[in-house]
Amino acid sequence: MTVFGIGVSYAAATLFVMFSGMPIAFALGAVAVVFMGIYMPAASLDTVTQNVYEEMSSITLLAIPLFILKGAAIGKSRAGQDLYTALHAWLHRVPGGLGIANVFACALFAAMAGSSPATCSAIGSAGIPEMRKRGYSGGFAAGIIAAGGTLGILLPPSITMILFAVAAEKSLGRLFLAGIGPALLLVFLFGSYAVVRFRKEYAAAKAVFDKTGETSQILKRDDFSFAERFQVLPRVLPFVILLTGVMVALYGGYATPSETAGLGGLLALLLIALIYGVWRPSELAPILTSTIRESTMLMMIIGMSLLYSYVMSYLHISQSAAESIVAMNLPRWELLAAILVLVVVLGFFLPPVSIILMTAPIILPPLRAAHFDIIWFGVVMTIVMEMGLIHPPVGLNLFVIRNVAPDISLSEVIWGTLPFVLLMMLAVLLLCFVPEISTWLPNLVLGPDGSR
Amino acid sequence: MMHGPIADRNDQSNAAPSNSLVAAFERVLAFCNRMILILAALALIAACLVLTDSVVGRALFQSPNYWQDEMAVFLLVGVTFMTSAYVQDRRGHIGIEAFTGLLPPAVNRIRLWLIDVASLLFCTFFAWKSWTLTYEAWSDGQVSDSMWAPPLDIPYSLMAAGMTLLCVQMLLQVIIPLSGATRR
Repeated sequence: MTVFGIGVSYAAATLFVMFSGMPIAFALGAVAVVFMGIYMPAASLDTVTQNVYEEMSSITLLAIPLFILKGAAIGKSRAGQDLYTALHAWLHRVPGGLGIANVFACALFAAMAGSSPATCSAIGSAGIPEMRKRGYSGGFAAGIIAAGGTLGILLPPSITMILFAVAAEKSLGRLFLAGIGPALLLVFLFGSYAVVRFRKEYAAAKAVFDKTGETSQILKRDDFSFAERFQVLPRVLPFVILLTGVMVALYGGYATPSETAGLGGLLALLLIALIYGVWRPSELAPILTSTIRESTMLMMIIGMSLLYSYVMSYLHISQSAAESIVAMNLPRWELLAAILVLVVVLGFFLPPVSIILMTAPIILPPLRAAHFDIIWFGVVMTIVMEMGLIHPPVGLNLFVIRNVAPDISLSEVIWGTLPFVLLMMLAVLLLCFVPEISTWLPNLVLGPDGSR
Repeated sequence: MMHGPIADRNDQSNAAPSNSLVAAFERVLAFCNRMILILAALALIAACLVLTDSVVGRALFQSPNYWQDEMAVFLLVGVTFMTSAYVQDRRGHIGIEAFTGLLPPAVNRIRLWLIDVASLLFCTFFAWKSWTLTYEAWSDGQVSDSMWAPPLDIPYSLMAAGMTLLCVQMLLQVIIPLSGATRR
């Protein structure tokens, strides 16, 4: 059979087993092994397990369980609420400050926990009821949290970025830094939108008040004394110290990314023990169990995805696909647009980890040939995959929000989130026109990227 | 982050398998998974300690680290494979369930059973090849390509044992519907 024929049947077989509902990890592994058996020398089947082990035993990949541990420790403590209360106390004078406080809380929490759903549920469970109590509409409140949560895969330590760095053979430190500028841009866009939307809802409520005298919660102002503001600080400081400490260790050259993961995991456990008194085995068990559940599930998918792409490359499927894309000679931006649409479509069905590992060997060579900065592309691709977290049909964050605020209807959540999806598209456009938003910081800290 | 794990299925209530042999089999496996879960949790913390030691050792005592990374890899590979049976028990290995709501219940039951059989077949193959890999590494005395040079049969055997346990778990899940109880 020609490479084209093999490639098409490989893709068809993958789609079939995936949509049969077979667990993603075993489905990918099974397809890979069957095609190895048919098209590769018999001896290659003997080294399947060695392949998987060698691909998985990368210390960078194995930082993932430790980052998940850190996220679970922070996520299951009361840190989210404390962080939120503190930001609210400090930002309440700004019009729409509550919304901004939620965006900031999401961004900070996401940077500590590294998980989008965890951020949504931790900040959302405190933030959504508070915003609604203040008269924010349900959709608006849900949208802020759903979108704020997605910052988790853009800010270090993002698991998605770890995989991209491994798949693209790029420096993880550089990729982490490249995500910070765009993340700040998104925080700014989300915050500005929160202010605009607050003013609109405020004006509407004021009009009703002037006409009928019917007051609304949104018109009320609350005050925090300075004593109250400082009272809430000590509970948040340790986490901010943890965050900056880990960053300094990483970028000051004291620790590799995986060592940072170990250090971060240990510090997070110590902090929740010291601040929240969570240290008994019975209290730690849920944290460790959920870490193991999530990380084992992910690492199995990662291991099998690596086997899957190994087979794809051995059979020259990825190379031929990449070559034919290059041969199409698409104009630069059309190529990028086509690839991003592909990522969006795949995002309907697959988790970001599989998308990266399965498509990287096909889409990166054409992008390199078209002289795109791969680090920059990694950031853009991450934002596009983030959008998949907040729009249907998968939209994991939407369902997390439904869990923490069951009284807001799903359609309200979806409509409330839509403006944020548009803002993310705007951010992608801005990044295309001004790539420096992403590349400025890594170039400043680490010097210009020599390897393209 | 990413599409996280699906919600816990701990709360699902199933009638115990009618067959006492299957029930005993299930209890033994549950006990094994529980013990492994505790060891895995300790291994996770140990991996954090090892990596922290590496940072602190280098920063304070300028001692070069040559075993820490590899030690952490062994621990984490062990955690991943050894707990995959536990995750399978909780149906934590996610799949795409987008179109399955369209099927009639009877067909769906058969589909779910066939998926389990297919997963079992793949994992059995993988477990078998892991054991042969372990045996080769052990009989040839293969060591890792590093200064510390630990024997490779350690991580390989963890992988093989974990995959075997996963197979046993899947076998149980394949048998349970046959013995007349609900799938779990």
